[in-house]
Amino acid sequence: MKKLLTLLFAALAATLQVHAQTRIDGVVSDEHGPLVGVNVFVVGTIDGAVTDTLGRFSFTTARTGELTLRAVLLGYEEQTLVADGARLRGLQIRLREQAASIDEVVVTASTYSVGRSSQIKTLDALDVVMAGNSCGDVVAALQVLPGTQKVGENGRLYVRGGDSEECQTFVNGMHVLVPYSTNVEGNAQRGRFSPFLFKGMSFSLGGYSGEYGQALSSVLPMETTDVASSDKFGISASLLDWNVGGTKAFRRSSLSFNADYTDLGLHNALFPDRNDWTRPYRKLSGEAQFKYEWDNGSSLKSYVGYDCTSLGLRTEGRELSLVEHNAYANATLQTTFGRGYRFFAGVANSSVFSDIDDALVRGDHYHNFRNEVHLKAEIRKSFSAAFKLSAGVEDYVRDSRKQYDATGYTLDYNLLAGHVDAQVRIFRTLFLNLSARAEKASYSPAWVLMPRVTLSFVPGKRFQSSIMVGRYSQSPEDDCLARGLGRLGQSTADHAILSLQYGTNRTVVRAEAYCKRYRSLPLLRDGVYTPDGYGYSRGVDLFVEDASLIRNLTLTAAYSFNDSQRLYQDFDAPRTPSYASRHNLRVTAKYGIGKVIVGLADTYASGRVYQAGTTPFYNSLDANVTWLAHPKVIVYASLNNLLGRTNVYRIDTDGTPVSESRDRFFYIGIFVSLKNSKAYDIANF
Amino acid sequence: MTSLISKKGILATVLFLMVSLFSAPAQDMRALMGQSLSRLQNPTPEAFLTCIAELKRIDAMFPDQVAPKYQLALQSLNFAVTNPQAEQTEGLLAEAEQTIAALAEMPAADLSDVCTLRGFLYMTRIVQDPARNGQRYYLDVIQNYEKALKANPDNALAQQLQEKFNEGMAQAMR
Repeated sequence: MKKLLTLLFAALAATLQVHAQTRIDGVVSDEHGPLVGVNVFVVGTIDGAVTDTLGRFSFTTARTGELTLRAVLLGYEEQTLVADGARLRGLQIRLREQAASIDEVVVTASTYSVGRSSQIKTLDALDVVMAGNSCGDVVAALQVLPGTQKVGENGRLYVRGGDSEECQTFVNGMHVLVPYSTNVEGNAQRGRFSPFLFKGMSFSLGGYSGEYGQALSSVLPMETTDVASSDKFGISASLLDWNVGGTKAFRRSSLSFNADYTDLGLHNALFPDRNDWTRPYRKLSGEAQFKYEWDNGSSLKSYVGYDCTSLGLRTEGRELSLVEHNAYANATLQTTFGRGYRFFAGVANSSVFSDIDDALVRGDHYHNFRNEVHLKAEIRKSFSAAFKLSAGVEDYVRDSRKQYDATGYTLDYNLLAGHVDAQVRIFRTLFLNLSARAEKASYSPAWVLMPRVTLSFVPGKRFQSSIMVGRYSQSPEDDCLARGLGRLGQSTADHAILSLQYGTNRTVVRAEAYCKRYRSLPLLRDGVYTPDGYGYSRGVDLFVEDASLIRNLTLTAAYSFNDSQRLYQDFDAPRTPSYASRHNLRVTAKYGIGKVIVGLADTYASGRVYQAGTTPFYNSLDANVTWLAHPKVIVYASLNNLLGRTNVYRIDTDGTPVSESRDRFFYIGIFVSLKNSKAYDIANF
Repeated sequence: MTSLISKKGILATVLFLMVSLFSAPAQDMRALMGQSLSRLQNPTPEAFLTCIAELKRIDAMFPDQVAPKYQLALQSLNFAVTNPQAEQTEGLLAEAEQTIAALAEMPAADLSDVCTLRGFLYMTRIVQDPARNGQRYYLDVIQNYEKALKANPDNALAQQLQEKFNEGMAQAMR
């Protein structure tokens, strides 16, 4: 009994002891001075205080004896003190800034992020639609960024002195063989994908990691949106196209469809161009998506798209007739397993059939079929806050058949690739990305090994600088391979990039200098392609975006200087490729007034060099207006080349200047949501 | 007999004291959280900041528990949405984002609650700078509230926040 009583009193004494008071105070600072907002507390209790503007804290605790005191502030390493409570007076606590985790630091050098991302953003889907001269085309909208070249005759992406084939597109990590719809020369081709398909895009102008291959200049990876949370149904109509799309949302999955018909017949009748159309440009396309998410975060995404384009044109005494079928499908699975391993697997198929009658002379026929199967698997793991590793394998199976009257070729080859990427935090502010990619094409006995290194200095969230060096490779185009089999290997380009970037919430300033050296480019000699071509491209890109000057006004300016020369294809001597202009400048402004958003964009490019002469400079001032007429209705209109300047795209061998088929382009469209809980959301897909 | 009962009674009392003092973490956590949240009966900015600081301490005491993280994120967002330009807001939002990410990784966390907090976070970003963040985040707000209500149609907080957001959108576009 006595023992029990003793125990009871001991417990009560312990309880009473809790009510004694210990005073704790001091100052918290870092290397720059006092820190405000530091949470200082006794571990295991809620007794504590938050530091004031002078870094001071003071509080009492019921605990006595040996105490564990902790000081915590976001972005700093927490500090823990263990001492007798009586000695926790007049403390001087010094916090150290926390080194960023390798997962937190995103090196943005040479990359422009579009859409949802922790990186500095430049565009989202609505920005793409509202860009001055894009008419809702992703490819056209990306051309407001520095490093891109204005090549009006086909509208494709040309990056830092590289050919358009050197820029490759990926959807959910899977390659798209032909990301553009077709058209005749002098009429811009559009990207095949709607910007509303994607939640994010990372347009890399060079120096990309080992994950991406088969691109000598740049890559455009795009990530589709996640499982839809609600049903949608909507239609849109314009002078050019009619669209219907919808989504059915289930508990863990969603199924979407989209159908689009484009016909330039009405537009040509209202605003005739210089072409003599026998059949206007028409495109019928359909897309479907199925997405599924598991509770553990794993996801399955699948996409299938098909389009058929046709047109007829009377030109140079013949009646050209073009029909192209383009089908693309992919499926990807992302999951996690074990202790933080992330696994990705994907498969994609691209098929393109092109048929042209009267292609070059009356009565001829051209047929081309291209197919690519892309298989990919990758595993990633963050081993610590300072080390992350990923490794993957992929395989491209390509098949190409071309027939022009009696001549033609059949080409089949396989390309196997593997890569390893390691990201290491060397010091608190210094990050290293080391990667290696190896590729083996079945048409060549040699493996191509491509080391890539990026060293980044990231002292804070606002500033970062990087040096990137790496080798990149790409298979020559099918025509070259067919006429150079046994001789040609993969072409390579060595990139060196220096990047400086400063960004706040409202202002981004970026400057990049680059140099590329091309080797083993296909060079036509005596009717056969040899790997003896070479070249270089060097330059500077500057980009400024600001939204701080006037409320609701966003300004961007992008300037690119490029100096490039190459000896390739049928060139007889090294010269500047005809698609490359030395100076490119784009200035855009977007201003919102209530429900109206007005956009202006001016594009300037210096003349391009052809053997028969140099084109005059290119200039186009474009304007657009978006009217949010109703939460379910958006009206959009744009007029390209307000000043009506006749821009010359090419100088023919006889010295004749060739310009675009029309000087101005007018577009007006209305987007209506018939079933969508989201206002001003024109994405039905 | 009486003595025996007394002995048992004393033993029970001692055991109760021991248990209540040393081995009732869930009850302790709830009591501490209740004590901390009671400060918000008078919801001044100072009361919010004190409450949030205490919730961080409780979270440090019970790192494997969902409730302190949920309340920490929720009260940080409550402070931020009512004081969008306060000097503490940016830091609190950054912490709330981290807390929500940590919560989403916890198997015991409720998907509906996580989506509600995410939607609230984006909504607060819009309140901070409607002109710039409205276009950027409004779909995230709507989608997260929809996901929250799909996972749990009875989630009252998600319902209220969704209603508030829709009202705000309607006003902004008027």
